[in-house]
Amino acid sequence: MHLKNKFDVGKFTILAEMQPPKGVNVSAMVNSATRVQKAVDAFLVPEMGNAVMRMSSLGGAMILQRKGLETIMQVNCRDRNRIALQADLLAAYGCGILNIMGVSGEDPGLGDHHQTKAVDDIDLMTLFKAVSTLQTGKDLAGNELSGAPAFLVGANVNTRVTGDELEKELSRMAEKAEAGVDFFIAPPVFDIGAIAPFMEKVDLKKTRIIPTVMLLKSVGMARYLDRHLNVTISKDLIQRLMRAPDKATESLAIATEIISAVKAAGFAGILISAMGWEEKLQKLLDRV
Amino acid sequence: MIIADRKSLEEILDMIKDFKKILLVGCKGCVTVCNVGGEKEVGVLAVILKIARKKEGNPIEIDEKTLERQCDPEYVEQIRDIFDQYDAVLSMACGVGPQFLSEAYPSQRFFPAVDTKFFGGAVQHGIWEERCAGCGTCVIHHYDGLCPIARCSKSLQHGPCGGSADGKCEIAKDVECIWDTIVKKKMEQGRLEDLRTIRAPKDWQTARDGGPRKSIREELVQ
Repeated sequence: MHLKNKFDVGKFTILAEMQPPKGVNVSAMVNSATRVQKAVDAFLVPEMGNAVMRMSSLGGAMILQRKGLETIMQVNCRDRNRIALQADLLAAYGCGILNIMGVSGEDPGLGDHHQTKAVDDIDLMTLFKAVSTLQTGKDLAGNELSGAPAFLVGANVNTRVTGDELEKELSRMAEKAEAGVDFFIAPPVFDIGAIAPFMEKVDLKKTRIIPTVMLLKSVGMARYLDRHLNVTISKDLIQRLMRAPDKATESLAIATEIISAVKAAGFAGILISAMGWEEKLQKLLDRV
Repeated sequence: MIIADRKSLEEILDMIKDFKKILLVGCKGCVTVCNVGGEKEVGVLAVILKIARKKEGNPIEIDEKTLERQCDPEYVEQIRDIFDQYDAVLSMACGVGPQFLSEAYPSQRFFPAVDTKFFGGAVQHGIWEERCAGCGTCVIHHYDGLCPIARCSKSLQHGPCGGSADGKCEIAKDVECIWDTIVKKKMEQGRLEDLRTIRAPKDWQTARDGGPRKSIREELVQ
């Protein structure tokens, strides 16, 4: 059963982020993914997040698909023009990739190739339009395609905002949904209460929202996320991690609790971001 | 200087269709030199618009004003006393002008009457060509005073590409291949080996690709 069908029947879906390598050694990615394949519905393959150059999402996703794993290929507007974007979408579908996620892509100034040009030929909403145009059997120039793709399309949504920012985010989410987005990936959540204002405004039965559950690898990481990345992590949670004799075990326990809370709140699923602890995924998924 | 072309009459008429009284503002800077948005062109456009609107049975009142420069807050002040007497203001300056006006008079609505095209100069009377891409890091000394960033369709640092034929670019037969010109000049001067240097990938951070730019001269900041 593909991800789309699982969504359709209301299954609580488990997605896992699987970062392609910076290089050509794919064994760690493949091993991490295959180890947990029974518990994971699809692997989200990021497209050079934070503008750090590495193997493309298309490449990573194709390698995982070849192993029989379902993937979500990320597509960004930063690195390709409309010709390349459409070409890679056709290539992806031709290789069995049925799910994509559109993102704008961070500015190259944030990554490891500061001097490069960002392409940004089309923006994110135009990218979604390009996808829906391809799905009608035509390209953006109006030319007929020999066979049209039928993707399940994802996008980001920021569930952490409140007040006016929440209104803006809801409007943008509605815009994305109208443009053909089927599911939304939300940022890391450590306290379900922190996203209560968002949950009050959105019917989770009608909109598929998938919060990210991030493994806290250290107290330092937790503090950094809380202070600099606008991810609310309570002092209690940080102290709990601090007091724990085995940080990894405690981190997995915390993640398990968050997953249960997300599931109970009626979300469509979770995306697990292991942050390099992919080898611990199986332990986590055994608990879920 | 900045080169612009006037928008089509249809486009301008469509932008101002709901207004009965507008201020048409020209600029004595670049757009006067390239004969698109100075005092004379303001006068001509005002007449054309009034005739067109009269023909449509929807007459419009247009006042004219040409500022020294629309890109300078000091001169932007010249319409302080009158800006709110109009339904809208139509600017004939480059894209900078109507933005400076919008920032100075946030309650008014501003419309552009020209399309800003490029940095260049007149190669003959009535013809202007692009010479600079404003990339923020001038490299023309490597190419004997010719800029491949602005003048090569692909902004190649090493050229020409396979699309160069008989000194022309693949994009159109009337477009010069600047790389053909660069190579010929180097050959004539016996310095072709200059082009054998493989240059590092260009740093585009100083160009528009690095985000909106700002130039600060500490000695002038008060």
